[in-house]
Amino acid sequence: MSGAGAPGFMLAPGTARPIKPRRGTMTGAAVVLLAAITVWAGIGVQVDLPAIAANWRNATSNIVQLLQPDYGFFPKTVPALLETLQMAVIATAVGAAISLPLAFLASRATNPKPKLLAGVRFVMNMVRSVPDILYAAILVAVVGVGALSGIMALVLFNIGIIVKLVSESLDGEDLGAQEAALATGGSWPKANRVAMLPQILPSFASQVLYTFELNIRASTVIGLVGAGGLGILIDNVRSFFRYHELSLIILEILVLVLVLESASSWLRKKLV
Amino acid sequence: MERTGADIRFHDVSVTYPNGFTGLKDINLNIPAGEMVGIVGLSGAGKSTLVRTINGLVPITSGQITVGEHQLNGRGSAQLRGRELRELRSNVGMVFQSFNLAKRTTVINNVLMGRLYHSPAWRTLLGAWRDDDVELAMSALERVEIVSKAYEKASSLSGGQQQRVAIARTLAQRPMVILADEPVASLDPPTSHVVMRDLQRINAELGITVVVNLHFLDLARRYSDRLIGLRSGEVVFDGAGADADESVFENIYGRSLTAEDVLSSKGTL
Ligand SMILES: Nc1ncnc2c1ncn2[C@@H]1O[C@H](COP(=O)(O)OP(=O)(O)O)[C@@H](O)[C@H]1O
Ligand SMILES: [Mg+2]
Repeated sequence: MSGAGAPGFMLAPGTARPIKPRRGTMTGAAVVLLAAITVWAGIGVQVDLPAIAANWRNATSNIVQLLQPDYGFFPKTVPALLETLQMAVIATAVGAAISLPLAFLASRATNPKPKLLAGVRFVMNMVRSVPDILYAAILVAVVGVGALSGIMALVLFNIGIIVKLVSESLDGEDLGAQEAALATGGSWPKANRVAMLPQILPSFASQVLYTFELNIRASTVIGLVGAGGLGILIDNVRSFFRYHELSLIILEILVLVLVLESASSWLRKKLV
Repeated sequence: MERTGADIRFHDVSVTYPNGFTGLKDINLNIPAGEMVGIVGLSGAGKSTLVRTINGLVPITSGQITVGEHQLNGRGSAQLRGRELRELRSNVGMVFQSFNLAKRTTVINNVLMGRLYHSPAWRTLLGAWRDDDVELAMSALERVEIVSKAYEKASSLSGGQQQRVAIARTLAQRPMVILADEPVASLDPPTSHVVMRDLQRINAELGITVVVNLHFLDLARRYSDRLIGLRSGEVVFDGAGADADESVFENIYGRSLTAEDVLSSKGTL
């Protein structure tokens, strides 16, 4: 269409055109603010550049050791490696089972009771605001050192994530089928079961796999405070400066995470 | 599926929405059991509001509606709620413009939704439907001639097939009344006729009372025993389809008719 050339197409300029929103100044302000926050944070944690330089000589010899993993140590890491895997699997399964009904209670689309909704959301925000390592530290103190504390910490961590993500998928679902189910005389729980659950099942499965990926990584870290798995082993060899052995453990984690993450993301792509 | 239809009576029914807008004004209607009623009116005239009051999806502000032995009251009188409201709804099927199926599950699972009221909670939770319920759902699918699609995913069906699944879902309720809110507005003309004939056949063979909102005047005239014209929430015509000529429709619409008001490609009633 050569609209502009057609006679009478162009109106008199300057009439009733919307003003282009000025995003420029906002972006500039945001950049300045971010820079200021970064400088403030650096001062706050006292980044000491000379000290970093001084430690560097020490660090280089450690790095050299880290580049030479002690493969002979492998058999001794197997039980811890398996424990880490088991913790992740169990915590993902238990977390997913507890999260599914909670997600329905935490979504505006599936919970018609405003007070219950607000209550569940409040508790879920609390659960999510505690970092996994803190759960682990507390549970190790209460339940004792070992995999059980680790699993419990991961379950809480998983509930926080899965409930949030799945209730958000529920919020975004089309409500037509649910309305139809309610119109047949179904109660809310029944209508949610038959009309909403099938709709979010693929996204639920995908979120569960995603939390499994997170759990593999998290289960190594929470071990550092005594909550089972490879983390405990890391803590042991590190405190005796056995960097060749530490190096092997890090390598194992790397391989484990890479393999499981790619398997899981391959599966997730198939789901949605 | 032997079961007879129910009477529907509106007595001075008004609906005022929470924002103060009056959706229906002093509606008085008597729809005898087994009648097929078409409701016409411009967009915004209150057609959806009217059919949705019948199953309590829209609460009425004043007046009374009786559906068979169930009674819905306006504000200030005893309200139908909880199990009583669900019992009313279990006797009233509803068909929607956009089909409202759970698209990611099978056709049969969608039809089984019609058994929700009667199915125990634990069975519903586990998806372990009674054999009788499955059989009822299958025969409902048979009645709309798509039983062969029972185990296919609802999303794999065409629009017309999806709407027939939705009709089967209402049949699985063994309803006394079927409400249809612009059931063919998303369908092409030939499919529209197929779906309308399904509704007509169900009305004739099972004696179920059918109330159907229709946008197209020729469809409304052709497929209903009785036409009700709505304008700004009020009944402005109530009579036989055959009596509704162009001047009647122009009164209901408050304007002259255009080709968009009819489905037929000839553009006439
Ligand atoms: N939930 C609501 N709140 C406020 N106004 C509404 C609501 N639903 C419908 N209305 C208004 O009521 C009028 C009738 O709507 P509706 O019954 O959907 O008409 P129709 O189905 O004939 O197009 C419209 O003006 C609409 O905007
Ligand atoms: Mg409407």
